[in-house]
Amino acid sequence: MGSRMEFWSEYLSSLLMGFLTTSELVAISAPLGIILGIALGASRVYGGIILGSFARGFSALFRGFPLIVTLFLVFFGLPEIGIYLPPVTSAILSFSLCSGAYISEYVRGAIMSIDQGQSLAAKAIGMTKLQEVLYIILPQAIRRAIYGISNEIVYMIQYSSLAFAIGVQEMYSVARTYNSLYFKSLEIFSLLAVIYLVLTALTTLFFKGLIRKLEIPSKAE
Amino acid sequence: MIVLRAEDVWKRYDDTIVLRGVSLNLKKGETKVIMGPSGAGKTTFLKCLNLLVKPDKGRIWIDGEEITSPKADITRLRQKIGFVFQELNLFHHLTAIGNVMIGLTKVKGMSKSDALKKAKETLKRVHIEEELWRKYPAQLSGGQKQRVAIARALAMDPIVMLYDEPTSALDPGLSSEVLLVIKELSERGITSLIVTHELGFAYEVADEIVVMNRGRIIGGGSPEELRNAKNDEVRNLLNKWNGLKDGVLV
Repeated sequence: MGSRMEFWSEYLSSLLMGFLTTSELVAISAPLGIILGIALGASRVYGGIILGSFARGFSALFRGFPLIVTLFLVFFGLPEIGIYLPPVTSAILSFSLCSGAYISEYVRGAIMSIDQGQSLAAKAIGMTKLQEVLYIILPQAIRRAIYGISNEIVYMIQYSSLAFAIGVQEMYSVARTYNSLYFKSLEIFSLLAVIYLVLTALTTLFFKGLIRKLEIPSKAE
Repeated sequence: MIVLRAEDVWKRYDDTIVLRGVSLNLKKGETKVIMGPSGAGKTTFLKCLNLLVKPDKGRIWIDGEEITSPKADITRLRQKIGFVFQELNLFHHLTAIGNVMIGLTKVKGMSKSDALKKAKETLKRVHIEEELWRKYPAQLSGGQKQRVAIARALAMDPIVMLYDEPTSALDPGLSSEVLLVIKELSERGITSLIVTHELGFAYEVADEIVVMNRGRIIGGGSPEELRNAKNDEVRNLLNKWNGLKDGVLV
């Protein structure tokens, strides 16, 4: 009984630390990924040959191979050219690059879906291309892309578990360690699953609230 | 004083020549109406005037500055031209007052409080009631949207207003409220160039009516002169708009 209590007490406190690390990974990577995704998406539409090609190449590259490969390239590959990044930083960089590449697709699609008349009207009042994109096109495009973006962030919570592979002590890594020590797979991973479920549910709720807040009224009140 | 001058404007889309050397002058305070059948090139010509469509050939001057010059500061010159689209192109994510303010704050660099004051004044000018100021475009009727669009253009203090079939997307009942606003502005001396199919309105508001067909100007004159037009092509078109063919109602 005592050892059972001891196990739960130790596991829960370790899991809490892992939870904080997972939260840190997602809380930093998500906004970075979103900013990168918006910049890449806009560059793909408005960037011209050089910037547009770079954004297209970037997006194709990071959507073209598994995230685990990106993690290994950043954590194990970069030191070979003299760039040393700690595990958490490597994970944040990899997640941001990967989610940025995917989010850029949503943003690009959303920009392309904006009625051409919006752009003409912006030009007609004397806006520069940059003003048109910043104040007219992106505010509308982001509202359309936000459904896809929220999905991407939910995925990010789940694939943050891959950070264990480069030694980040996030939730999955903690659970894996405890499972190898105590062989209580059902209890250990069930609790882990519940925590992931709560995290993704809270994230979904947050985005639902955000979508409601940003929604453009469409009916007569 | 001529505020808008177009000289020999040509435009081609693929194999179709849309404009064939259109020239036009607009004097300060003047209201000119362009009429013509669909496909005559009226909208393309209007969009060429502020380079929303780039002409293949020809020169255009706004307030004495050539907008078609390679050295022209196009965004600055566009601020001198108010443009009202037929497609009700209000910015969907902004309220009525937001639509009017955005050009003032972001393009003209006005403070928010000054822009708000000006936007309110301009919305009043086009008879948009205060309870509609915070409504989004989707919550407004077609006529209200078009009046907000007029306010958005007008607030920038343009030297000329261009209207591209401002009532063609509206039900007949809603057209009259927009036409009334345009007429009021025109009577107050706002220089206007209006593309419209509303012949009655054109006769009422225009100092001069220009008739276009197949990419060129085929005639024009004061409403009175046009009523007695000698040119067969012009007379036939006018009869058609009047619902007459060879003098018989069709």
